[in-house]
Amino acid sequence: MAGDCSKLFIEQIEAASAAQQRLLINGHNSKRHWLPAATANSSLYTAEHNGILQYDPAELVVTARAGTSLAEIDAALSEQQQMLACEPPQFFAQAGGTLGGAVACGFSGPGRPWLGALRDAILGVELINGLGEYLKFGGQVMKNVAGYDVSRLQAGAWGALGVMSVISLRVQPCFAAQLTVSGELTADAALALCAQLGQRNLPISGSCWHAGELALRLQGNESGVAAARTALAEFGLMPMPADDEYWHRLQHHQHEFFLPSMQASTDTKKHGPQHKLWRVVTPLAAPMPEFGLRSAADALVMWGGGLRWFYHDDHTAVLAYAKAVGGWCWAVGDVMPIDPMQAQIMQQLANAFDPKGVFATPLSLAARTAATLATQSH
Amino acid sequence: MLSAACLRHNEGMQSIANNQPNHDPQQLTEHSAPHRAVLARLQQLLPEDNIITDAAGLRPYETDGLTAIREMPWVVVLPETEAQVAQVMRCCAEHQVPVIPRGAGTGLSGGARPHRQGVVLGLSKMAEILHIDPHNRVAKVQPGVRNLAITQAAQVHGLYYAPDPSSQIACSIGGNVAENAGGVHCLKYGLTVNNVLGVRLVNAAGEIVELGGALYDNPGPDLLALVCGSEGMLGVVTEVTVALLPEPETKAVLLAGFAEVVDAGNAVAAIIGAGIIPAGMEMMDKMAVQAAEAFAKAGYPLDAEAILIIELDGAAAELATLTDEVSTLLRQHGAYRIDEAHDASTQARLWKGRKSAFPAVGRLSPDYLCMDGTIPRKALPSVLAEIDTISQRFGLAVANVFHAADGNLHPLILFDANVPGQTDKAMAMGAKVLEACVAAGGTVTGEHGVGVEKLDTMCVQFTSAELEQFVRLKAAMDPQDLLNPGKGIPTLTRCGELGGMHVHHGRLPFPELERF
Repeated sequence: MAGDCSKLFIEQIEAASAAQQRLLINGHNSKRHWLPAATANSSLYTAEHNGILQYDPAELVVTARAGTSLAEIDAALSEQQQMLACEPPQFFAQAGGTLGGAVACGFSGPGRPWLGALRDAILGVELINGLGEYLKFGGQVMKNVAGYDVSRLQAGAWGALGVMSVISLRVQPCFAAQLTVSGELTADAALALCAQLGQRNLPISGSCWHAGELALRLQGNESGVAAARTALAEFGLMPMPADDEYWHRLQHHQHEFFLPSMQASTDTKKHGPQHKLWRVVTPLAAPMPEFGLRSAADALVMWGGGLRWFYHDDHTAVLAYAKAVGGWCWAVGDVMPIDPMQAQIMQQLANAFDPKGVFATPLSLAARTAATLATQSH
Repeated sequence: MLSAACLRHNEGMQSIANNQPNHDPQQLTEHSAPHRAVLARLQQLLPEDNIITDAAGLRPYETDGLTAIREMPWVVVLPETEAQVAQVMRCCAEHQVPVIPRGAGTGLSGGARPHRQGVVLGLSKMAEILHIDPHNRVAKVQPGVRNLAITQAAQVHGLYYAPDPSSQIACSIGGNVAENAGGVHCLKYGLTVNNVLGVRLVNAAGEIVELGGALYDNPGPDLLALVCGSEGMLGVVTEVTVALLPEPETKAVLLAGFAEVVDAGNAVAAIIGAGIIPAGMEMMDKMAVQAAEAFAKAGYPLDAEAILIIELDGAAAELATLTDEVSTLLRQHGAYRIDEAHDASTQARLWKGRKSAFPAVGRLSPDYLCMDGTIPRKALPSVLAEIDTISQRFGLAVANVFHAADGNLHPLILFDANVPGQTDKAMAMGAKVLEACVAAGGTVTGEHGVGVEKLDTMCVQFTSAELEQFVRLKAAMDPQDLLNPGKGIPTLTRCGELGGMHVHHGRLPFPELERF
């Protein structure tokens, strides 16, 4: 099935452009529940455009067509004891996401503050713009400042700037040793401990607080992890069994906390009205919100405090909280909140890459909404 | 230490600085009515001491770290607040006067070269560390703050700012963002783009744009990454939030000597292949070693064809086994001598040779031209061999110094500008070296930026369609082309004249040239 479909993509883009139609770029469609659907005349399917093109472990770079499944990339890397340090999520076991989809949505896993974001791993992108031009930006090297960083600009662009054809990502050797320690702590105590430990040289590479328990992932070489285990025992944190499974479930949103939102996304009607799942990005040590939750199980805190999830039905309360601590929030399934100035820049960039407006993206809706809000507020 | 003047004489270099777009903002002279109006307005906006118009005062601003290229600015302004930056920008936008943002002026590619009808907007007076926040592990600073000053301010909390360009005692964080500055620790800790969490900037219209914050994720396309390395062409950075890291508990520095360059290259691949990411891994060839040793007395082996300097860091427990592993790999790959340094003073001595390599090479030759290509690591032996061939063909010697960990090469081409024709020869040779880097799958600039210096080689790396996309991107954010015009991206006319431009799918360059 692996093959180069880029010529077909160009034809499809040119045809859509000529017919003044809009195309929605579609990989595995595994993140469909994250934003309201975009309006488009037809889809440009990337999944057939797949295959790993180059992977030399000593170079720490993998280059693959954008339609390559994350599962295939994970498998190839793990054979060489390497990994994508940014741990992009795969929300479904089957057709869990393509490389292009991962870059377009820009989601990073539980290790983000320590191991880097998906955007940090991007080294190069070959992109087909709205004029049907095949363009190469970046490359396969770590350091590259020739021209604007159009490659990383694709992270979080949700397809607004073109169809990615080939992507090069930085990879990292797997750690020789891993251990997770956990202990019972309130959210406030967990945040305080994370802030304290964050100033020390410990091989922490993941954190999760949920329902009164803090778990910290330690990764490094054997001796480093063993020393950290001893150091963290002083804080009452003890080794947790089957921790691989724990982080895997967290990364791919299979953790029980996320299940209600996943069910809602696949079948809203059956489950009736329920609380929205809020994704709140905050400074690491920001205090927990004062708004009430139905139960302690309705909150989950990752990234050493930098990413917080809440089930809540009062959007003004969540919005006020995010704003007060200098962060931002987004309810899964709702429009992405982008401030008016950024929305304006985004629109200008979209015009620069896609002057005829061929690409439909769920973000353009967000940009319009933000622009509308800005107009109303004047 | 500054790897300052890569080229000391300016003959032959002025031609490369000419990349003005066809629609030069307005043919203004310093006495034209718009310029008089701008100056009068600037005098209202800023205190008298913050505006420089006299020749003696302007002189220090006529060049940056690429001293071969000089141009007297029309006027230099030194705002003290973001509001003043915005007002200056609005005033210049209104009268279509180019604005050249400037940090500490240490850049090596001429990115801060003034415009003779433009305003140099220096950020040196905005140099306050606004907030060091150990709990959130961030520092919020003004753009004129020196790179090293951030680490110095964070040290009391056991934290530091990781990117360390060689000019870190002098270069400013705003300039680091503009250039996406690197350093010797990039493989493990990343470049500026990987360590900056937020910026505020003033755009070409004089509006404030806020991107990111003390946050590890932001909505929408990654505009923050776009700003990093944009060479002052998309906005003027007025505030930067950087991530701070806990200082490594311990460090070890290893020096390894090799009888063959190729063995050193293989050792680099073997270390990374074994799953080890050193904090730094530097390589020098024989000529660079001999120059550095004569200059710095670092204790380098003079008979080595190549040396590696490897820095490992981490928790004490972690480091002991790591050092042994790396030593074993070095020996297995032909290192005939390995020195280990565990104390700070020996480590500093081993680093000193590498860090003074540029001035040391400067003593060998009246002038040198410094390249900044980056290649995939596996291409190291073949590209080095090709550089050698090119060197023989042109009859100019090359000393090779490079960041082996990330494939970033700094070949130094030795020449004498007083010998007629040698400057042009060195530049032609440099272009060939960069073409070899591109052919090997690399890039013409890893960390120094394009500025005005590498405009021609950009024509080799990018197709006309790609260059046009860059131009449209720039026009989207700066429709009047006022921010640092003529830098970073070559005009199609320029590439066409060089004859080296890619023609993609048989299509000729876009006909709408007047847009550029």
